[in-house]
Amino acid sequence: MIKIYTTSTCPYCEMVKEYLKERNAEYEEHDVSNDEASQKEMLAKSHQMGVPVIDIDGTIIIGFNRGEIDKALNK
Amino acid sequence: MNDLIIIGGGPAGIAAGIYASRKKIKTLLITDYFGGQWIVASDIQNFIGFKSISGFNLSKALEEHLRLQSDIEIKDQTLALKIEKKDNGFAVKTNKEEVFETKTVLMALGTHYRKLNVPGEDKFMGRGVFYCATCDAPLMKGKAVAIVGGGNSGFESAIDLLPYASKIYLLEYANTFSADLTTQEKAKNSGKIEAITMAAVQEVFGDEFVKGIKYQNRQSGEIKELAVEGIFISIGYQPSSEIVKGLVELNKAGEIVVDCKTQRSSLEGIWAAGDISDALYRQGNIAIGDAIKAVLNIHDYLKGK
Repeated sequence: MIKIYTTSTCPYCEMVKEYLKERNAEYEEHDVSNDEASQKEMLAKSHQMGVPVIDIDGTIIIGFNRGEIDKALNK
Repeated sequence: MNDLIIIGGGPAGIAAGIYASRKKIKTLLITDYFGGQWIVASDIQNFIGFKSISGFNLSKALEEHLRLQSDIEIKDQTLALKIEKKDNGFAVKTNKEEVFETKTVLMALGTHYRKLNVPGEDKFMGRGVFYCATCDAPLMKGKAVAIVGGGNSGFESAIDLLPYASKIYLLEYANTFSADLTTQEKAKNSGKIEAITMAAVQEVFGDEFVKGIKYQNRQSGEIKELAVEGIFISIGYQPSSEIVKGLVELNKAGEIVVDCKTQRSSLEGIWAAGDISDALYRQGNIAIGDAIKAVLNIHDYLKGK
């Protein structure tokens, strides 16, 4: 299961979404701008506040890092 | 062997790619991703031909235009790591263990965020220290924040933060702000911003997350603290010229010194355009023009003119 934490204004979040779509990976998006519960969840998982945060089956990736995303997807 | 390798996928790299392809120059373009610095700009109002467009959508439009060209090879998601001078041109090594040979190189790698280099900056990165206000402003809802830098990027960060932050301190090292007056007015009219000049930032502090910022008033020498939960560093950019260090002449700022008529660097066979060059003004529109100039000159060069 893939969860991504985003804000509505963040271009790198769009890139993550496009990248996952290219790889036919389904994801659930949580916009943390207006959703405090998701914001807390993201903080707890990544111990930081920058977006995007990607949770691929428990592997937490901060930022649009293709190498890390590929590694986690191929696990 | 390629005639030309373009390194970079911002406005300069893309414009060069389109022109090179139409000139039938055998070209390879290497870039991590397409976009460039303006990708995080939420609203661009001075790109000629567009009344208002986000940097992200503008980048998409440019990339699409490039990908329509039939005569260019594109390696995206790839970083150029090293350029080596050979007898008849250059060899460009990538992070994917590939080596490409070429007669000429156009450096269009642009710049990356400049860091402040004060204690706490690295430790709190993402934990209150941010470089992209467009991205992370919504997380600052109801919080006091500080922006470091009173140039265009600083004031644009302030505008991105206005709908969210409860209070915005804008710290500038010099005694005046260098941002465009229209941008300054837009920010200052909000009443939420407290502008502080002559401020030398000394430290970012906190526990798990940022709690504040310490700066010295350069006039009085007094050390002051501001209680903030977010610090946005907007002190400009530094040229991504590491891979040509020692190969071509760089100025003190690390920019590639070019001849402004042709965009040629100090080494025959290497050109540069856009923010990586020592161009006087940093604008997407200008980067595009300079890159086109470079390709036309490369075309002449390859024809032996």
